[in-house]
Amino acid sequence: MRGLVYIVDDDDAVRDSLDLLLSAAGYETHTFESADAFLAAPPKAAGGCLLSDIRMPGMSGLELMVALQERGASCPVVLITGHGDVPMAVEAMKRGAHDFIEKPFDDERLVAAVCSALARGAGPREAATVDPEAAERLATLSRRERQVMEGLVGGRSNKEIARDYGISPRTVEVYRANVMTKMRAESLAELVQTALRAGVTAN
Amino acid sequence: MDRQERAQASSVATQSLAAGGAWIVDAATGAARLSAGARRLVGAEAGEPVPDLIACLPLDEASQAEARAAIAAAAAGGADFDLTLHCIEGGEPAALRLSGGAVPDEDGTTRRLAGVICDADEEARLAEEVAARVAHLRSILETAQDGMVVIDAVGVVQSFSRAAERMFGYTAAEAMGRNVKMLMGEADRARHDGHLARYAATRERHIIGVGRIVTGMRKDGSQFPLHLSIGETDVDGRRLFTGFMHDLTEERRSENRTQQLQTELAHISRLSALGEMGSALAHELNQPLAAIGNYITGSRRLLADIPGTGRAVAALEKAAEQVLRAGNIIRRLRDFVSRRASERRVESLAKLVEEASALGLVGVREKRVALQYKLDPEHDAIFVDRIQIEQVLVNLLRNGIDAMETATRRELVISSRLASKGVLEIAVSDSGAGLAPQAMARLFEPFYTTKAAGLGVGLSISRGIVEAHGGDMSAENNADGGATFRFTLPLRSQA
Repeated sequence: MRGLVYIVDDDDAVRDSLDLLLSAAGYETHTFESADAFLAAPPKAAGGCLLSDIRMPGMSGLELMVALQERGASCPVVLITGHGDVPMAVEAMKRGAHDFIEKPFDDERLVAAVCSALARGAGPREAATVDPEAAERLATLSRRERQVMEGLVGGRSNKEIARDYGISPRTVEVYRANVMTKMRAESLAELVQTALRAGVTAN
Repeated sequence: MDRQERAQASSVATQSLAAGGAWIVDAATGAARLSAGARRLVGAEAGEPVPDLIACLPLDEASQAEARAAIAAAAAGGADFDLTLHCIEGGEPAALRLSGGAVPDEDGTTRRLAGVICDADEEARLAEEVAARVAHLRSILETAQDGMVVIDAVGVVQSFSRAAERMFGYTAAEAMGRNVKMLMGEADRARHDGHLARYAATRERHIIGVGRIVTGMRKDGSQFPLHLSIGETDVDGRRLFTGFMHDLTEERRSENRTQQLQTELAHISRLSALGEMGSALAHELNQPLAAIGNYITGSRRLLADIPGTGRAVAALEKAAEQVLRAGNIIRRLRDFVSRRASERRVESLAKLVEEASALGLVGVREKRVALQYKLDPEHDAIFVDRIQIEQVLVNLLRNGIDAMETATRRELVISSRLASKGVLEIAVSDSGAGLAPQAMARLFEPFYTTKAAGLGVGLSISRGIVEAHGGDMSAENNADGGATFRFTLPLRSQA
């Protein structure tokens, strides 16, 4: 077994299919239909990571993560978000989530996120310390690219960023592509992670 | 003599008779026959012979002589007379008016004279009264907002009121004597002579007494809608038509504005409904799609290590690609329908509420809903997207009105209060049946509705809008019946 993954999702089919996929990828899995169910039966063994939908009836994935942190039972958390939940996901990243994955996602991306979360282990993410390599990438951004990146990390859309700085959305797209390349980010989630590691404190 | 003066004169003649009567005198004997009014004036009983008309009148000597001379002259073939005669000092009346002339027989000889006698003071008083009435009527017509134009049987303008001057830009002097067709739009202009001729021939009424909306043309050539009603009168045997005209330009304008607002709202509602449906659909479809994708990629991983499954694995990989493709289509759909960017400004809540009420109450005035505002004037400036918040208010107002459909008491109250620092709470309260428990639980779910023709997106959209503004929305039943919907919005300070 490559590691333990706790799956929390209110949708039966999604939960069951995640179970199948991660089992097939060689992980041990435990499934829960709600955040409350997970909190009611906390994992006995140390290690493992939590994979949770961010939007659920009752307690959300973000709230679950915060509740775990408050109990001192933090484990790395990967959140699954719907399209348009980016601001919430960014908020989750700032509060210590390991990663977020936007639906629809491909399995490679999911497995990579889970793998990376397990590799980090139970220790707190080194959010306070600045990763020099990430900072180096950040330093290559132009002033405008930096503004666009801060907008993205702040959960703003291209259109909103365009309005913020009085430029066209098309121009923002170009800057955005440059930012992704320079920060070596494949996805918005990676960009957020790298930016946070580089010491960006978006608000 | 214009039409009005003629009417006045004939009216005065009628009044003279009312103040007196007619007389006929035999030229040979002086014996008189008097009408009832004239007998009253001279104090003669009905049937009592009047051998000498002049002697019966209470005239002073000079006037008596004048009257006898005038009658004698007329009897001798002289002119008609019209005299104002003085009565004896202290008598009643003080003066009489005697008019008349010879009535020649067929053979040309004069055997009789005839005329009218009346109380001159009474006549003058009645004439004054008539003049006052005419002046009063004239002043009403001059100050009336509706224009009045009188034409004769062939369409020539006889009278043109002050309001008509304002309406058409012609002065009365310019309009009088010209054909009324110049005030009409092309279509009516060509047909009007035909209408008049047809009416003269058949007396079949088409517009008279009914009224209709026609197009008027001003002096400057511009056209405008007006409501025309027509009355007809006969004055001295002349047929006259009076047109009363009400300018509809302003009414049309406000009607258009209301229509435009309704269209705008309907459009936004549809767009929002589409956006909401897009979001809801995206979410609803993404869930099964995600599951399908996971099952497929999971299966592929399971098969990957088993020899001889190469084709199946390849097919599953293609299936996984198609799942992602479907997901991207949904994403684009969602982006497309939610394209309208939210534009927030500092707005006045009172103004928003007023506009939303105007829109929300369109077409429901006959339901007699009492709408009451209890807005906190201290906290009026909110930082919102005007159209979106108006839509929320319209939604809540409409729901409230629908909820009171069968209620006897129909009261809607829109109130606001400071909920906490920088946060305003707005409440829309109705006096309807209230919310059933099962409805309460699902109120804000997309596609949940209790209305026969409802789409079930109104409250879902409203809450979405409020949440996007950083507020929240809730519902509760009132202690004294009905329901209250509350939502919070940021005050200006957050701008």
